[in-house]
Amino acid sequence: MVELSPEVIEMVIRSASVIAAGLALIAGIGPGVGMGYAAGKATSAVRRQPEARGSIVTTMLLGQIISGSTGIYSLVIAIYLVFT
Amino acid sequence: MNPGPQVVTYLFGKSYLPVTDTLIVGWISVVLIIILARYLTKDLKIRPEGKQNIAEMLITAIHDQIEPMLPGEGWKFLPLIATLFIYVGFSNLIGLIPGSTSPTGDLNTTLGLALVVFLISHYAGMKEKGVWGYIKSFGEPVIFLLPLNIVSEFAKPISHSFRLFGNIVGGGIIITLIYQAAPGLIPVPLHAWFDLFIGLIQALIFGMVAISYISVAKS
Repeated sequence: MVELSPEVIEMVIRSASVIAAGLALIAGIGPGVGMGYAAGKATSAVRRQPEARGSIVTTMLLGQIISGSTGIYSLVIAIYLVFT
Repeated sequence: MNPGPQVVTYLFGKSYLPVTDTLIVGWISVVLIIILARYLTKDLKIRPEGKQNIAEMLITAIHDQIEPMLPGEGWKFLPLIATLFIYVGFSNLIGLIPGSTSPTGDLNTTLGLALVVFLISHYAGMKEKGVWGYIKSFGEPVIFLLPLNIVSEFAKPISHSFRLFGNIVGGGIIITLIYQAAPGLIPVPLHAWFDLFIGLIQALIFGMVAISYISVAKS
């Protein structure tokens, strides 16, 4: 059993939390794909029915907000890991 | 580097009620909004002209967002939603001024606003369906879903507040990093993107999500 000094342990914890923050941001893939899909569907809907543009954009934004929440969670966790 | 809110002073004594910089900027923006509102609505006329047009355009645009989701109650919920929208939008825009931190970049501010919306949506639901009818609606369609419904109800204010907080803080951190790497003209378009565009979109979204939570609780 090797005795590690507190500085080494501190350094290992810091580097591990920075790596974990980078890994947490992988979650950004999901919301990106989902929001892009919603925007593409909304574009084709506007092309089919240009007069319903306002309500389509409102519905698209609400759906994108809900699907974008997971990305925000990962961002908050990454900020927490880096800055504490 | 610590991006969180910094404690500037204490309101009572040396350790009670800490006052952070985000709180002070929040107070300043509240005062500015009151002055602006008094100025825009000073002498109202039947035939609007000049500054009254701006105020009427803003209020009508917010009312048009509320009316389709809460039919017949647009004017009743207008004060709440318009206050949320204008305060959040103004707080995001005030981050443009160098040296000031957006009040919405502090979880305390956004969680407070989200809890207000949370309480009002439950109150509106109870008023619509009665207290027992509203509580019973959590056990529908099957009683097994009761714990899931309660958990998803508590996830609402958390995701509502973390969305605004995460967007503003993320933008602020990216701008700070760019300032350290390349000061000068390079951060200017980033300010336009993160403070103007994302700030206004997030204010609109904060108001729209508040409307949709209230309309979900009522239906």
